[in-house]
Amino acid sequence: MRIISKEDFADFVEALIKDKSLNVIGVKSKGDKFAFGSLESVTELRLDYDVTILPPKKYFFPQRETLVTYDLAKGFAAKSPIEAKPMVIIGVHPYDIVALLHMDEIFRETKSDPYYFEKRQASIIIGINIQKMSKWCFAPAMGCAVIDYGYELMLTDLGNRYAINIGSQKGEQLLEKYAKNVKQALARDVQLVGQKKREVMDMAQQKFDFSPEIIPELLSKSYEKSGFWEKHAEKCLACGSCVLVCPTCYCFDVKDQADLSLEYGERIRTWDGCLLEDFAKIASGENFRPTRPTRYRHRYFKKGKYLFDRFGFISCVGCGRCSSNCLPDIANPVKLFNAMYHELRNRGEQVAPAAVPEVEIQTEGNIDYVPKLATIVRKVVMTAKETLFEIKLDDGTDLNHKPGQFVELSVFGVGEAPISISSSPTKKGTFELCVRKVGSVTTRLHALNVGDKVGIRGPFGNGFDAEQLKGKDLLFIAGGLGIAPLRSLFNYVLDNRKDYGRVILLYGCKEPREMLFGEELLALTKRDDVEFKPTVDWCPENELWEGNIGVITTLIPQVNFNPETTYAIVCGPPIMYKFVITDLKSRKMPDNHIILSLERRMKCGVGKCGHCQINQIYVCKDGPVFNYSKIKGVPEAL
Amino acid sequence: MKPKVAFFDFAGCEGDQLQIANLEEELLTLLGQVEVVSFREVMKEHSDNYDIAFVEGSCTRLQDEDRLKQIRKNAKIVVAIGSCATIGGINSLKNYQDLDEVRKTVYGDKAYLFDTYAARPIDAIIPVDAYVHGCPIDREEFLSVIKSLLLGKKPDIPNYPVCVECKKNENVCAFERGQFCVGPVTRAGCNSCCVNEGTICWGCRGLVDNPNENSQKEVLIKYGLTVDEAIDKFKLYFGWQERKR
Ligand SMILES: Cc1cc2nc3c(=O)[nH]c(=O)nc-3n(C[C@H](O)[C@H](O)[C@H](O)COP(=O)(O)OP(=O)(O)OC[C@H]3O[C@@H](n4cnc5c(N)ncnc54)[C@H](O)[C@@H]3O)c2cc1C
Ligand code: SF4
Ligand code: SF4
Ligand code: SF4
Ligand code: SF4
Ligand code: SF4
Ligand code: FES
Repeated sequence: MRIISKEDFADFVEALIKDKSLNVIGVKSKGDKFAFGSLESVTELRLDYDVTILPPKKYFFPQRETLVTYDLAKGFAAKSPIEAKPMVIIGVHPYDIVALLHMDEIFRETKSDPYYFEKRQASIIIGINIQKMSKWCFAPAMGCAVIDYGYELMLTDLGNRYAINIGSQKGEQLLEKYAKNVKQALARDVQLVGQKKREVMDMAQQKFDFSPEIIPELLSKSYEKSGFWEKHAEKCLACGSCVLVCPTCYCFDVKDQADLSLEYGERIRTWDGCLLEDFAKIASGENFRPTRPTRYRHRYFKKGKYLFDRFGFISCVGCGRCSSNCLPDIANPVKLFNAMYHELRNRGEQVAPAAVPEVEIQTEGNIDYVPKLATIVRKVVMTAKETLFEIKLDDGTDLNHKPGQFVELSVFGVGEAPISISSSPTKKGTFELCVRKVGSVTTRLHALNVGDKVGIRGPFGNGFDAEQLKGKDLLFIAGGLGIAPLRSLFNYVLDNRKDYGRVILLYGCKEPREMLFGEELLALTKRDDVEFKPTVDWCPENELWEGNIGVITTLIPQVNFNPETTYAIVCGPPIMYKFVITDLKSRKMPDNHIILSLERRMKCGVGKCGHCQINQIYVCKDGPVFNYSKIKGVPEAL
Repeated sequence: MKPKVAFFDFAGCEGDQLQIANLEEELLTLLGQVEVVSFREVMKEHSDNYDIAFVEGSCTRLQDEDRLKQIRKNAKIVVAIGSCATIGGINSLKNYQDLDEVRKTVYGDKAYLFDTYAARPIDAIIPVDAYVHGCPIDREEFLSVIKSLLLGKKPDIPNYPVCVECKKNENVCAFERGQFCVGPVTRAGCNSCCVNEGTICWGCRGLVDNPNENSQKEVLIKYGLTVDEAIDKFKLYFGWQERKR
């Protein structure tokens, strides 16, 4: 530990500010509140603050950030590198430092987010022990009020001097280079710092009536609790304030912005939040968290349970920003968890601390947000709404996908949309996408022609396990556009026909004219190694239809299969799953023989933006293909 | 071929057309992409041959309806610009008064000659394809809507409240400054410009799709407004939308 007088500390900060190769940031006042901002003089620095309006995460994951630029003539490019000026952030409270460490884990899982880490690695964090605590803060209870890691330097105010804990070599070097008269701390000062830290632990006005380790278990017992979430969320304005100010929230939206010439533009990401109404809504109008209570509940679960299961920490550092920014005062985690605790206790339920899961975070390489250029080489209009696009990557490579995976398809200036690859990987050189015109990207895509350029990222998702299915009988059940992802596996199986047992395809659409891949499917009827049964919900009187009439489930009784050897592979509109699964189960099909491909709103495709989440599952990364036995207990799944 | 564009005004102050006329340099670039065939603010000519119609002002008389329907017939895309056209705007304040009274204050003893009814947004009469909200509209947003239309994409009009932008801008909340704000129920898209300037959101962009009005009124009262004052906060811009809900 070192000691520096306040005068010498002021000189240290001024020396940092003078060095134009650094971007020096500190806590400043803003009205009656505080905010991190660029320092022009040390006199602006307010280390006696209680809490800042926004946490310092805005420097690493800004409110708005360019991911990619594009130029119609040239294609996509990563945004030009920012002046990666090293940033020195002065006055970060311990809870905000812990939050940054949480963000590091989140942005590094599976694949690292280069935009986040480029800034994070160029930063120097100078923390300060809390002097005033906001009345909403409960960082002590979360173990985030005092820390001895995660910083370069940590200051403690000792009246006329600061004690400095050195957390890294970078910190040590910074002092050496810019500070004068830094002394070794005496035992007395070391003691004083210890005392100050103990005082911090007693400052909180917000207190849990239990030990926070039980939060994950409390939540586990409260998901379906009748009326609880409705009651607490009744006043929710769906304003998103509670998540936008949170130092550990990381959800984002991605959009394209063209300039006036419409030839250049950029793709930006901006903060988003799960409390907002359209967060989980997809183009067809389905909203997977349609009500305020379901969205309100999701936030608590995400913080206290889902991320705990995934990373081993409760993703709340107790800063209290959510509580203080919620106008109807319903976002205070302490209040909510206390209410939950007492309600369970009154019902005589015991809640034990959750065992911290053994987690090892896998990460490999960087996320590539820059799409590869690709060309439409064939366009086949299939129905009024669906068109098949055959696409070739301009760099001449194969996509190398697994059946059931998807790509993020970009149309310049309009945006990105996740689309299943509907051709088999056995088809080389090009791949096919079957796209329904529903919203902006898809409508614009439909207007493109052979020779036009699109962007492709991926393949993403897990895809079907074609190996594991070898030797099995396969029962494909597709509803409407659900045929698109199934076709990749179906064609793969046909190309490796001898590796598989029986192959049955049940396919339903609303009316004959909506049938996709009509000719291709018709050809199946001539094969004796495939059983194909189509159905339509109804057939207009003047049209010809020889197949079944009725919803897809009316086909299931028409096929005989051995549930022991058969695997069902199901994809269709959200409402279809429940019915199909019930029917399959009544035919004694074991749960783990049912394989589903699910759809959710997606923005990143790589497990970062939060949009595709079904409870603790990321559809983009953990799916879109799921074994029913694994998700039947996941309440938001079906 | 460049899309042909026309501007029309109904009951409103024409503030929005002024915003557009003021775009100057950007307008010139924009003119490279579109052909303006009718724009009373800056030109004399008029033509009924247009693809995109921008309509300003609210519908306040039965006679307006025919004109609107004709515009709808002529145009491929109808865009409502400014609060009066998108949500009824300030004009709907008068919906709270007795309409006969309004007519008398406005037209004196000739009132019987003028037929007026509750002010309403133009989508109460005809289908509208896109909205440029605001009172007055934000020029950037107007350009962004045009760009979207030219690109064939849905303009990006948020369905979340002003608080979202306000938080991103790290403003001190009006309520913490002792003021009263309807940002939590008002559709964002203005980048919370009024709060950024140190004032409050009055609600000029109208309500979000599913506002929690009761809770918002409770908040206003909790922070010190009387019930009537809280209701007045909602009258300024939400008149038509509230009536419809
Ligand atoms: C794994 C997966 C596979 C898919 N495969 C296909 C396919 O093969 N063919 C096909 O036609 N459609 C497919 N979809 C649906 C398709 O992604 C949406 O229809 C599309 O994103 C709509 O975009 P839009 O811009 O036209 O609509 P808009 O309403 O303008 O949507 C704007 C943005 O919202 C998001 N979004 C909206 N709807 C969805 C959605 N259903 N899923 C994910 N994000 C959405 C996207 O980011 C989109 O860019 C798939 C979706 C998922 C998740
Ligand atoms: S909980 Fe509070 S802050 Fe969060 S969205 Fe609802 S009203 Fe807004
Ligand atoms: S949930 Fe609330 S208290 Fe916890 S870290 Fe986020 S803003 Fe702070
Ligand atoms: S899903 Fe989680 S990280 Fe995303 S906004 Fe909600 S609480 Fe925050
Ligand atoms: S000032 Fe208004 S818009 Fe901003 S956060 Fe407060 S209530 Fe919301
Ligand atoms: S802050 Fe409110 S009043 Fe101001 S422009 Fe935005 S919506 Fe209109
Ligand atoms: S987390 Fe972004 S799409 Fe899944």
